[in-house]
Amino acid sequence: MTQENRSDHPQGRPPEGDSRLTRTEVQLRGPFLLFFISSVIWLLAASVLAVIVSLEQGSLSGGPFRDCEMLTYGHVAAAQHNLFVYGWGFNAFFALNLWLLSQLGRFELRNGWLATLGGVFWNLALTYGVIQIFAGNQTGFSLLEFPREVGPVLAVAFLLAGFWPIVAFARRPTGQTFASQWFVVGASFAFPLTYLLAQLLILWQPASGVVQAIAHSWFVSNLLLLWFGSSALAAVYYFLPKVLGRTISGYYLAPVAFWSFLLFAGWTGPAALIGAPVPLWLQSIGVVAGAMLIIPVIIIAINFHGTLSSEGGWSRAWNDTTLRFVSFGAVAFTLFGVLNAVFSFRGPNAVTRFTSFAAGQEQLLTYAFATMVLFGSAYFILPRLTGSLWPSAKLVHVHFWATALGAVASIVALLVGGWQEGKQLADATVSFQQIAKTGSTWNTVLSVSAVLLLVGHVAFALNAFGMILKSSAPASAGRHD
Amino acid sequence: MKNLNIFLAGIFLAGAMPFGALVISSQMQLGPLGPAPAEEGGPLFPSREPGLSIQGRAVYVSLGCVSCHTQQVRPAGQGSDIARGYGVRASVARDYVQQKPVLLGDRRIGPDLANYGARASKIDIDALLRDPASSGAAWHPYYSYLYGRSADGKSIVPSERAVALVAYLKSLRQDYSSPEAKLKQ
Repeated sequence: MTQENRSDHPQGRPPEGDSRLTRTEVQLRGPFLLFFISSVIWLLAASVLAVIVSLEQGSLSGGPFRDCEMLTYGHVAAAQHNLFVYGWGFNAFFALNLWLLSQLGRFELRNGWLATLGGVFWNLALTYGVIQIFAGNQTGFSLLEFPREVGPVLAVAFLLAGFWPIVAFARRPTGQTFASQWFVVGASFAFPLTYLLAQLLILWQPASGVVQAIAHSWFVSNLLLLWFGSSALAAVYYFLPKVLGRTISGYYLAPVAFWSFLLFAGWTGPAALIGAPVPLWLQSIGVVAGAMLIIPVIIIAINFHGTLSSEGGWSRAWNDTTLRFVSFGAVAFTLFGVLNAVFSFRGPNAVTRFTSFAAGQEQLLTYAFATMVLFGSAYFILPRLTGSLWPSAKLVHVHFWATALGAVASIVALLVGGWQEGKQLADATVSFQQIAKTGSTWNTVLSVSAVLLLVGHVAFALNAFGMILKSSAPASAGRHD
Repeated sequence: MKNLNIFLAGIFLAGAMPFGALVISSQMQLGPLGPAPAEEGGPLFPSREPGLSIQGRAVYVSLGCVSCHTQQVRPAGQGSDIARGYGVRASVARDYVQQKPVLLGDRRIGPDLANYGARASKIDIDALLRDPASSGAAWHPYYSYLYGRSADGKSIVPSERAVALVAYLKSLRQDYSSPEAKLKQ
């Protein structure tokens, strides 16, 4: 929301620019801003690296950095992926989850310094891990590339920074619980266990042979679905009714959505191993779980799209900055769920396996859904915590259009390009040179979309940092209730 | 969902079941696998990796080669791996029991390398790493920094890392019979 759009503030809240903060907000302001500022810095770094990755992947001459070992494709791609996931995704969700649970449970963060300490550890470990990747000290397992000594530090930091939602849930003053709380608690509880087990079985005491790959597929599906998916779903379940001022359609189905999502998500990993030298029963479980995941996706679609479709919800969503981003994400989640179910089956999977298609699905989940929801949440929360308005309406528009177009372009390029690549790979008479040549068009689209996303992120960062800097209301001057 | 303990127990169970069924039972099924002869009295495969190959694997991991190359040949009927000449048979779990870490990979920006050592010579691999464009793989990253000049500056000399990496790539072979995947005579 901007100065030009200040009449559109959600119901029951002070308008933006109002420096009065509740005691709850005063207490979480410090840790929230630490996580938020860190997340945006990492997002910018990941976006710059994404441009370099797309240039390197698209350049037939080896790219401008061909003689620089530090910036070889295998280093930059791994660093970009980790920065986006652990730098942006985790810091931003630490902030959002903390805020959501404190709002829903009126939780007072009395020992906020612990969360701050966790945030400092998290970001220091992340910095060290990324430097090590550039120095060539990586493990070879996607999203576990950091040297193994980073793992325990990240796990401890998570417990300090990301475990608060569970404390907030335990201390909530009423017996009533909400869908947002379930998803946040689920994400906050499942991730550290998954991460520690994956670290143990892959890096510290490696399991035998291909069991490492099986454990890795289990970890990645948990990370993407249970951390990114669950946390972002929690935010949508909160912001849709909050901003629209109505209840979620078919809310009575939400518990089924939560439990079925949690139940099936953990089994979907082996769908990424179809055709691999792992037992067939394992691959079949992955296929079945991927297909079954459509159940929570359909229920969630009924909840989200039903709410948005009644009483001019879509039109209101389009005219509200928060909801514009959040509803974009809600649509992306439905698309992700449908694609995930269809492409878990052996037939389509055999075509898209080893192509950019999987990266397209991940981009749909982690960017078009989770990241867009995070952006929307920031537009709602930051004015309340800083007591300032977003400095520039133009930058908000640039942010939305650049990220929306960049996301759509990159996802289309990865999915359609991946399908095309898969069709060519399936034909043994088509050489790799021909496949690379066909893929160069899609690489150009990916480079343009990477630049678009960078532009959008810079616009968002300028606006957000400008707002935080100009925030004139010291937290101590806030309203206490 | 109002009782935290029951709620967390539910979440824990929902996470523990797939972990137990997917990871623990896989370890129970595949953990005992080791090198074995295809037929009684035959040689054991996969054979133990030489030290230089193990060093080369570390270079492969360090450079992030796994982000573009897989090391797994799918069975006929699932993709064209065998028709493309990536291998003479599908990969099986036993092929990987000596490998730490196992680098199956999930993206093929470049070709599969499970059986690369059987189809490429050391000279080919050296040339590809040093100058991919001249080797017909212009999209491949340059690894010219793994090579230096001799003292007189007249010839190109591979670094220790390049020697190890080439030895590792040359060691990648799945062209032997194993109990689960016998080669046709």
